[in-house]
Amino acid sequence: MKKLFNIIDQYKGVLPSALMVGIFMLIPILIIVVYSFMIPNPNGGGRTGFSFDFFQKLFFCRDLFDNLVFSTGYLKIFFRSMWISIIAVIVSLLVGFPVAYYIATQNADRRNFLVLLITIPFWTNLLIRTYSWILVLRDTGLVNSMLISSGIINEPITLLYTEGAIILGLVYTYVPFMILPIYASLERLDIRLIEASRDLYTTHWGALRYVVIPLAMPGIIAGSILVFIPSIGAFIAPELLGGGKNLMLGSLVQLQFSSGRNWPFGSALAVIIMAIVLIALLIQARNSRKNGTEIVH
Amino acid sequence: MSVAIKADNLRKIYSGNPPVVALKSASLEINDNEFFTLLGPSGCGKTTLLRLIAGFESITAGELCLYGNNISNLPPEIRPVNTVFQHYSLFPHMTILDNVAFGLRRLGTDKNKANSVAQEMLDLVHLGEYGARKPDQLSGGQQQRVALARALTPQPKVLLLDEPLSALDLKLRQAMRSELKRLQRETGITFVFVTHDQEEALSMSDRIAVMSAGEIQQIATPDEIYERPANRFVADFIGDANFYDAVAGKHKDELVEYIIDDITSLKGQRVESIKENDKVTLAIRPEKVSFVKAGDKDTLAGTVSDIMYLGNTTDYLVILQNNETIKVRAENHHNGEAIANVGEPVSLAINPAALRILKK
Ligand SMILES: Nc1ncnc2c1ncn2[C@@H]1O[C@H](COP(=O)(O)OP(=O)(O)OP(=O)(O)O)[C@@H](O)[C@H]1O
Ligand SMILES: [Mg+2]
Repeated sequence: MKKLFNIIDQYKGVLPSALMVGIFMLIPILIIVVYSFMIPNPNGGGRTGFSFDFFQKLFFCRDLFDNLVFSTGYLKIFFRSMWISIIAVIVSLLVGFPVAYYIATQNADRRNFLVLLITIPFWTNLLIRTYSWILVLRDTGLVNSMLISSGIINEPITLLYTEGAIILGLVYTYVPFMILPIYASLERLDIRLIEASRDLYTTHWGALRYVVIPLAMPGIIAGSILVFIPSIGAFIAPELLGGGKNLMLGSLVQLQFSSGRNWPFGSALAVIIMAIVLIALLIQARNSRKNGTEIVH
Repeated sequence: MSVAIKADNLRKIYSGNPPVVALKSASLEINDNEFFTLLGPSGCGKTTLLRLIAGFESITAGELCLYGNNISNLPPEIRPVNTVFQHYSLFPHMTILDNVAFGLRRLGTDKNKANSVAQEMLDLVHLGEYGARKPDQLSGGQQQRVALARALTPQPKVLLLDEPLSALDLKLRQAMRSELKRLQRETGITFVFVTHDQEEALSMSDRIAVMSAGEIQQIATPDEIYERPANRFVADFIGDANFYDAVAGKHKDELVEYIIDDITSLKGQRVESIKENDKVTLAIRPEKVSFVKAGDKDTLAGTVSDIMYLGNTTDYLVILQNNETIKVRAENHHNGEAIANVGEPVSLAINPAALRILKK
């Protein structure tokens, strides 16, 4: 008992924030977990009871004769979400790394200014920004009309409502989350190490490969996870740019809570997304522990 | 004796507003297997010259040759030259062994071979057991030796060292001096060593280039730099010196009377290029002035105005009859007593061979 008091005494400083996290984060999560095991109510919400309905729904569906048959419908959505998110991470990395590298090699004033520029998109609503991509991508949009008027193509190419458009939307939305952590790790990197590498017979690219990228690895991993997490549950880009055709997990969750009227299933899907995120975070935690001595300098 | 590095009117201007002329027009030849030192005050362009040789900076004008090959426009990774950086710049994410083997690996040597050469090199700098550690687990002196081993492992033709000892404490610095000398002898690699510490330069180098404000003032062996400085800057920068403006008088055999003023003149050797009535600067090292008995021939009379005890020697400031001051350095008596006390009249003698005559 005395020990317990000691512990409380020791941590009383973080008690208020612990309470906040408990009330506003843990409890809602618990509610969702509880919901996922309830029986769906056609009018929304869930009836008390216990069912593995969601589990069944994930893998099976009922055929014309009301028999359960194995169905890959939802699994496909799950894997598509994973796939699209991973591509979004890779593209963000390919775009974000050079940008971060460029910013990190500027002088201090310019660096701060450029970092400010990176955050500018956050000043406007995501919905509006995503809508404007529709104007750019649609058949009569900016890209197509420019390509047609310059004679490169005759017929508009379908850009909107494709997986490519979703990936573009995700990269556009989340690439700052890739740039900033990579920038943070590159900014700490001693430029003289690149010289040392050049001196020891590496080209520019060799220095990048053997010195810069390994030292930026904590930033690269942090950025990848920061892009992956919101991408897997993303809703706006898949809805608006994917046109609801290429359903992703985020849209599926939204569907279950609205027209689908299956809150338990929606909750279960949300829990699955959460589990994926958790795994990603665990990887990150392990990674940063491993690199702990290298990050701190 | 072949020439390792030949610089021909090397010029470096850093672009910017305003542009900085870091190197005006440097010409020098560094011999194969030589321990060559660039010595000069801060900002005189030593690092710039070294970086031009390494290839980190582009040459504004002039030409740079390495063993007869023009390397002026080669990138650093092509030049068979390695650098020991002032701040070591060890790769923090690699073990010590990987750091030391890095150069060889990038040259295409296979891993086992590179590691065994790296291990030998670590043994050579007495760090054989530290291969598995990371750089931040070593002391400054140990990191310094790793940097040395890393630069030596690919067996470069020339090793560049930019004030590699400046971050070490005095004792370690002195130990590293002989260590560096030993390494240079054992490896037979040409060393180009940058320092602003004259003691370091004098004790280690085969030859020294004294630099000032982007120009090379003199290139010579340590004793020549000290005994026969080319100009007032060199005489002043290396060791202590008394300077007097004077006019060359008539010569008698090989001796010339250099007239400082109406009542003071000094005898010195004749210099071929200096004619009667030429204006000169006389430089005298304090330890080359000696106390003599009054009344001897060719002495300077004066009064001791200040005494500084330096341990093995003592500096005496003597005011001469023309009111000029001269610093005299004398070894202390066995019992440590001063040779003369403040206020005491003394007579000084200067051997004509010890008088340096510098053209103005
Ligand atoms: N990248 C640069 N851009 C502009 N000017 C520079 C740059 N690097 C050096 N300089 C200038 O060039 C001159 C020579 O610099 P350098 O670094 O060669 O001096 P140094 O002799 O190595 O001095 P120290 O003993 O302090 O290291 C200095 O006036 C310096 O300010
Ligand atoms: Mg320097």
